[in-house]
Amino acid sequence: MTTLTIAARPATRTVRSELTKIRSVRSTYWTLFVLVLASIAWCVAYCLGTVHSWPAMSAQDRAGFDATQDSILGLVLLGQLVIVVFGALIITSEYATGMVRTSLTVMPRRATLYLAKAAVFAAVSLVVSFVTSFGTFFLGRVLLASTHAGASLSQPGVLRSLVVSALYVEVCGLFAFGIGASVRNTAGALTLAYGCLALLPQLIRALPDSLHNALMRWVPGGDALNAMTATLGGRHPLLFSAWGELAVFAGYAAILLVLGAVQFTRRDA
Amino acid sequence: MIEARGLVKRYGSTAAVNDLSFTIRPGLVTGFLGPNGAGKTTTMRLILGLDYPSAGTVTVNGRPYAQLPRPMRQVGALLDAGAVHGGRTARGHLLCLAQTNGIARRRVDEVLDTVGLAEVASRRAGGFSLGMRQRLGIAAALLGDPRILMFDEPVNGLDPEGIVWIRTLMRSLAAQGRTVLVSSHLMSEMEHTADHLLVIGRGRLIADCSMAEFIARGSGQAVQVRTPQPDALARAAAIAGANVVAGQGLGELEIRGLTEEQVSDLAFAHGIRLHHLAATRVSLEHAFMELTADSVEYRAA
Repeated sequence: MTTLTIAARPATRTVRSELTKIRSVRSTYWTLFVLVLASIAWCVAYCLGTVHSWPAMSAQDRAGFDATQDSILGLVLLGQLVIVVFGALIITSEYATGMVRTSLTVMPRRATLYLAKAAVFAAVSLVVSFVTSFGTFFLGRVLLASTHAGASLSQPGVLRSLVVSALYVEVCGLFAFGIGASVRNTAGALTLAYGCLALLPQLIRALPDSLHNALMRWVPGGDALNAMTATLGGRHPLLFSAWGELAVFAGYAAILLVLGAVQFTRRDA
Repeated sequence: MIEARGLVKRYGSTAAVNDLSFTIRPGLVTGFLGPNGAGKTTTMRLILGLDYPSAGTVTVNGRPYAQLPRPMRQVGALLDAGAVHGGRTARGHLLCLAQTNGIARRRVDEVLDTVGLAEVASRRAGGFSLGMRQRLGIAAALLGDPRILMFDEPVNGLDPEGIVWIRTLMRSLAAQGRTVLVSSHLMSEMEHTADHLLVIGRGRLIADCSMAEFIARGSGQAVQVRTPQPDALARAAAIAGANVVAGQGLGELEIRGLTEEQVSDLAFAHGIRLHHLAATRVSLEHAFMELTADSVEYRAA
């Protein structure tokens, strides 16, 4: 019998455990693989398409070509759908399998467990989204080499677009994580998250113009995504800046994370 | 030591646990008994802080469970063997549990060995049989080498070999001086393992006593007789204050409240011939059913 215990604070121990959890299931690798693959596929399709049509493009079209946006839009549009699954599953899979009862029995400090879980998810998804954002940008540049239309990091708006896009994907995951902690059910969490990200921007288009124009900047997804990723064309009059739109969305995610924390700590497991 | 004081858990208007007070003393195997739906699992969840009580308190070694610094070092619990992520290997599952309490990695392999899962340590738990999951759950409970162990219906759904294994394990844990709380809806399960009994029905405490007391508390013994004059004997016994029921065979009676000597003397005094006279001890199962008869939630018509 050799029970050697390691001296560490509860938060440190719990983070270590959550890291083991996330690394020891296949779904982590699958979802992140799909995220990266979808982003790369988008980048390749758009850049090669541009290379193909480049000779026939007018000077005006060439000037309006946003190489950065075309390279990373896959991460934003497709990546957000994948990271939502990842973020929701991190917490709902514990409820689906019953693992949460085991987790809370060994770590009954619920707030610590919740924060450790969110922090580990945030760290892992942050690394993946940044690597993908910069990776697809550089991949796009290589693919566009023959057109000399590739962007460089020093051009205005490029670095901002890459950073904001990566953070947006990250925030999407936390958004879904917060919903997952509240509803404790994978299907429910995904429906709600997709409803907010994909359906809401479509729904407000059906509203009268005045209302639509007033709400646009407050609705996640939709035109806000363009504001976050574009490096050309200046600011849309009805939207906040790229950072502003990201902040609005991060605000929603923060509210959902707090609501999720309340549910996680107060409700019976 | 686990202490519950006035524990209540309500779901809507029904109380799953109703004003429960008990003390689980160290170094004993306490059997936690009750029919299905009596509130055993809810009580265990309340002890572990998985559910919050509507009223009352429960402490483990003097503190609410959630305030134990390294709970696995003090309490090991197996409530639901299915509470495992099926995608994780047995070793991975135990490792992430061990890390929350700062338990060294090599202890994981030790407990896997103890429960006989060393060979399948690298296999995903999703493919485990119920018996293997049960062993994995017990491995998790043993990780922190705790002095208190809690098992909720540990033999449910196990094959005979698994049942024997769990019984032996519980006895050996008790022999090491550990406190064991084990729930069951089968009295026969307790016969071999428990020193002390906690019986609940409909969320209320019915009995909190030693095994010997529990047996004595039941209706005690009954005397089986066969006589060619059952009516006469039944009348005489009833006058003597006994409770008489007709037996299954011709001329058979079951008499409660008199010893076999008293029945024999009674028959002799009334000139009644006896062809058979035997005292039967009421089985534990019978005593349990009698005690909980009023508190069974769903009864067959």
